[in-house]
Amino acid sequence: MSAGFLTLRRGLIGVSALGVLGTAFELATEQHWKNWEQLVPWAALAVLVVAGVLLALSDSPKTVRVVRALALAVLVAAVFGVYAHVAANYDAGPLDQGYATTWETLPGALRWWYALTKSVGPAPSLAPGALAQTALVLLFASLARDRERTG
Amino acid sequence: MKAVKTKLVVTALAACLSLAACGGSSSAQDSPSATATGGSASQASSPDPATGGSSQVTKVSANTASEAEIAGALGAAGVPNPERWAREVVEYRPYAADDPDLTSLRQNLAKYNPGEETVNKIVSALTP
Repeated sequence: MSAGFLTLRRGLIGVSALGVLGTAFELATEQHWKNWEQLVPWAALAVLVVAGVLLALSDSPKTVRVVRALALAVLVAAVFGVYAHVAANYDAGPLDQGYATTWETLPGALRWWYALTKSVGPAPSLAPGALAQTALVLLFASLARDRERTG
Repeated sequence: MKAVKTKLVVTALAACLSLAACGGSSSAQDSPSATATGGSASQASSPDPATGGSSQVTKVSANTASEAEIAGALGAAGVPNPERWAREVVEYRPYAADDPDLTSLRQNLAKYNPGEETVNKIVSALTP
């Protein structure tokens, strides 16, 4: 592997490590462990750590395939997280004093929009996207090796 | 003379029986099991401004009562969507035993923008 690609890959792995640490800190401050759904991002972080370590230790085709599969799994978890957050906000709509009496009468699309934009509910809708971003960084780190091999 | 003695004995027995009966009903009223519905529930006898001065509010423990018990207490306190709020109460456990006003719960519930009246009603039905 050329020095440039090696540096790029190590840099991307380092960025993903920062993403994991930052996300873990945010989850911990939010005490994000109250039910099984809230444990999903912790599992995703563990998967990202495993994938990052594997990629840092080896660049064999098998390892790269495993890392990519793990990163894709985290991407799926992140999408689920976005849905879970928006759904939690949607569920909290009737609890908001501004919508308590009108929530059921609002059009469905408008209710989902309010949930997505956090007009109702406390969950940050796109926060799970941080997991997706970290997984994508790892995915690109694995591509750096392929570019070196094929180039 | 014998008839008088018999009358006295009968009267004494009747008096004893009536006293025992009164004592029995009195002890039943004073029994703790008559006022407590379990380890996690208690009766607050003072009027509560949060519930519009209703005479009695059944309080349950926010830390130990089941979600269904909490929902029941919230419903009795006039909280709308009691089942949904009970879920939140359980989720934000534990609560400090030395904080009867459940400050941490108030802070967490505020994120849902429920309004002060609803939060007061919720807290009025709970003890730490």
